[in-house]
Amino acid sequence: MAWVAACGLALVYVAPVAMMVAGSLKPDARVLAEAGSWRAISLAGASLANYRDAFIRVDLGRSLLNSLVITTSVVILGLGVNSLAGYAFARMTWRGRGWLFAAVTALMVLPFEAIAVPLFYGVSLLGWRDSYSVQILPFVANAFSIYLFYTFFLGLPRELEEAARVDGAGPWRTFVEVVAPNARPCFATVAILTFLTQWGSYLWPLMVTGGPRVRPLPVAIAAFYTLPPRAWGDILAFGVVMAAPVVLLFLLFQRAFVRGVATTGVKG
Amino acid sequence: MRGGGGDRLHRHAAAAMAAPALAGLALFVALPFVAAVVLSFTDQRLGSPLASRFVGWEQYRRLLADPLFRRAIANNLSFAAVVVPVQTGAALGLALLLNRRLAGRAIFRALFFLPVVFPMALVAVVWVVIYAPGPSGPMNALLAAATGGAWSPRDFLHDPAWAMPALILLSIWQGVGFQMVVLLAGLQAIPAELYEAAVVDGASPWGRFLHVTLPGLRSPLIFVAVVTAILAFRLFDQVRIMTRGGPNGATTTVIFEAVAAAFDRQEVARGAAITVIFFLLVVAITAAQRRLLRPRGVAR
Amino acid sequence: MRYRLILLLAVLALACRDHHGGGRTPDIEVWFHTGQPGEQRTIEAQVARFNAGQDEITVHLTLLPEGSYNAQVQAAAAAGALPDLLELDGPFLYRYVWQGALRPLDDLLPATTLAGLLPSLRTQGTCGGHLYGVGSFDSGLGLWGDRATLAAVGARLPVTSGAAWSAEEMEGILDRLAAADPDGAVLDLKLNYAGEWFTYAFSPLLQSAGADLIDRTTGRAGGTLDSPAAVAALTRLQGWIRRGRVDPNLDDAAFTGRRVALSWVGHWEYPRYHAALGDDLVLLPLPDFGHGSRTGEGSWQWAIPAASRSPEGAAAFLAFLLRPEEVGAMAAANGGVPATGAAIARSPLYRPGGPLRLFVAQLTGGVAVPRPRTPAYPVITAAFQRCFDDLRNGGDVHAALARAAAAIDRDLADNRGYPPTRGRR
Repeated sequence: MAWVAACGLALVYVAPVAMMVAGSLKPDARVLAEAGSWRAISLAGASLANYRDAFIRVDLGRSLLNSLVITTSVVILGLGVNSLAGYAFARMTWRGRGWLFAAVTALMVLPFEAIAVPLFYGVSLLGWRDSYSVQILPFVANAFSIYLFYTFFLGLPRELEEAARVDGAGPWRTFVEVVAPNARPCFATVAILTFLTQWGSYLWPLMVTGGPRVRPLPVAIAAFYTLPPRAWGDILAFGVVMAAPVVLLFLLFQRAFVRGVATTGVKG
Repeated sequence: MRGGGGDRLHRHAAAAMAAPALAGLALFVALPFVAAVVLSFTDQRLGSPLASRFVGWEQYRRLLADPLFRRAIANNLSFAAVVVPVQTGAALGLALLLNRRLAGRAIFRALFFLPVVFPMALVAVVWVVIYAPGPSGPMNALLAAATGGAWSPRDFLHDPAWAMPALILLSIWQGVGFQMVVLLAGLQAIPAELYEAAVVDGASPWGRFLHVTLPGLRSPLIFVAVVTAILAFRLFDQVRIMTRGGPNGATTTVIFEAVAAAFDRQEVARGAAITVIFFLLVVAITAAQRRLLRPRGVAR
Repeated sequence: MRYRLILLLAVLALACRDHHGGGRTPDIEVWFHTGQPGEQRTIEAQVARFNAGQDEITVHLTLLPEGSYNAQVQAAAAAGALPDLLELDGPFLYRYVWQGALRPLDDLLPATTLAGLLPSLRTQGTCGGHLYGVGSFDSGLGLWGDRATLAAVGARLPVTSGAAWSAEEMEGILDRLAAADPDGAVLDLKLNYAGEWFTYAFSPLLQSAGADLIDRTTGRAGGTLDSPAAVAALTRLQGWIRRGRVDPNLDDAAFTGRRVALSWVGHWEYPRYHAALGDDLVLLPLPDFGHGSRTGEGSWQWAIPAASRSPEGAAAFLAFLLRPEEVGAMAAANGGVPATGAAIARSPLYRPGGPLRLFVAQLTGGVAVPRPRTPAYPVITAAFQRCFDDLRNGGDVHAALARAAAAIDRDLADNRGYPPTRGRR
């Protein structure tokens, strides 16, 4: 009984996604015409023409590359920078640690939108615009990631580090060779959360990118969608390509995703 | 334990480890925040050849007197007022449904969570198709089928009465999965013994729900409610892409107004003031969360 | 492990390195807005032709979405990141000149080219005595009609602005058309469009009624935009919408699908309308609301930023775009009025006897009124658009106009009346 309900809900829930995929395989004219009936998800006459059009006409490949470069850069640099900071706060004593950590936790409250406008103003004055770096650097340091790492490192058994110290390792070596390899779940969680946030980032790139050169996928699809005439098949193909990497990541690392999301909830 | 020299090396290493992140936060978070407050007291415009002046509370005065801005705040509030209970309730329902030993539970969980990984810009574009005007639009067709033909097709996104509900629905669709996962984890953390004890005490399923499930879920429930409320105030992508704040301000939001001021019209001071107001609203919500999460039984 | 991390970071750093063009001097960066697909194809072909025809300069074209074009350009201007040559939506030019972002073109373009320009385009591009912008086409705005349907209700078809329908006459025609029409919607005002369209299309109504967006000498809107004449004119328009005479046009096919007999729109629809209605298509002047038929003018124009690295190269490309055959190509793609007399003479649409000759007559005969040529224009148009939004949804016309006028005047005060400045440079 519950199973039937779950199935029904899941089908209804997934219908928009199915429509997107099916629409991406149809000629443009049929997308809207058939959208209102069950034929919205029919795969009759499926072809990849829309994908080809999206790659050629609106440089989907370029946007995809931009998103990949920007997102993976933020993730990798962020993992490095934030884990080190989290470790320094959790395990080491140094001057200013207390109030600096309080400052970091205070900054956790700030959503990005609270600083988007002055940041936009600042980078405009500096002439820092329409580049990869302006889309990457502001997002590398992240208070919430630091906090996640901090909490995790607090929970690590001290024996690991003591063993390393006995071996004569300094703090850097201890971190790289002993602590970090044991923090894989935390790295995974932070990587996933950062990837999700950055992949879908729209507000910032909207303001700091111009043409298609370094424009990531969300801004590109929004621009493409306003372009006359509206080729819905191409647009939906664009959307499928945009969703594919995150969906793939999700399916591959489902457990880590779920754990990551749940962790944020338990933290409260 | 090492001697004094090692400790100093330790301290330097620690500072060096924390330095990049702290520098990044200082430069890209703390500094802009302070700049926002300062800017909000000026009349600074981007690219203007005129020198900017200090104008005191003038930006705030104008914002609070501007019917469009007041409408934006009202829209955010009504959005939150609907989405928080509805989305949380739906997520709770789904979590309860999936908490049983269902076949293929992981698949269900994946399907419901899938929209969460989609970028909101993509969700917005796909739902423009769903809300297509005319009888062949999926939503119009669905409603016509559900009401047995009594429904006449509407252009949801251009209708002052339906634009906001349309945005609400798609936001709920995108966000339920996230809450569901959190609540599911919360449900699984409730010890089975509590349920067994309740059964022994003769509690009905509804009683068990009220007295075991809900209290056990208190922390995650408050968390998802607060996160959703804050997200309700951050509302931007869908509005910018689907309705551009229209029709007639029916869907404008605080952040949309901030971007319209700072980016579309180069009025960075006004935009900064809007984001300061936004920040204060977020702080208020977070403070409410902290109060709610205070352990019960502590004397006030 | 550590070395792999360093290697990975190095690779990332390389990937992060921003892509710039090849050599500096010979490359010209040009920005264009993504408008109609025909315009886009034409400009791309023009860039290709230019690059192929000589090897001193290579033009790189970047297309920016029209929806946020002005915001993008403003942000780039503030960041000092403007290209060598870019298009600007006509009346937004003056703000950029005021900000010091553009350089004059008088000494960069050949005198013969400048001499052949339409006077309206010269006016549009001139600020403070210097020419800062040159359009390769001007716009035409009129009332397109379905000849057969109009004849059926006995409407006369004026061919010159002097003979335009009066407002009352038009209302009568609308009523007669509505009586014969299944859904009563017989007029298309392109309500589905967004943004600048509303100021462009409906400020001529104010001018035809004897009012205006602002007082052109003082720059103030109070007393002009909310004058009784303006209120009366827009109230009449609102009445048409209220009575259901206006098609919402969500599919942008009201006229081509023959749902309406009249369409209030500009030159860019000519290709589509002509394809749909053939010989049944007729172009009429906008109605006369009391002070003569008035219409809009002005369109996108090219300008060279002050910080352009190679203004001569940019000017060379611009001169190329102003050749008669190139002007003709763009005008053919979007139906606009060609910029030069030579191109007009060659155009089958615009030469004497051509179907769109009315547009030329309007531009040269003083019927077309330019939008206010002031740095305050972005604010003026934003205020008017908001006001139009209010009144199309049934709001009180006088209140909406008064609010718009107050907003414009307040901005004027905020900017100290937009004093002439030497800009930031």
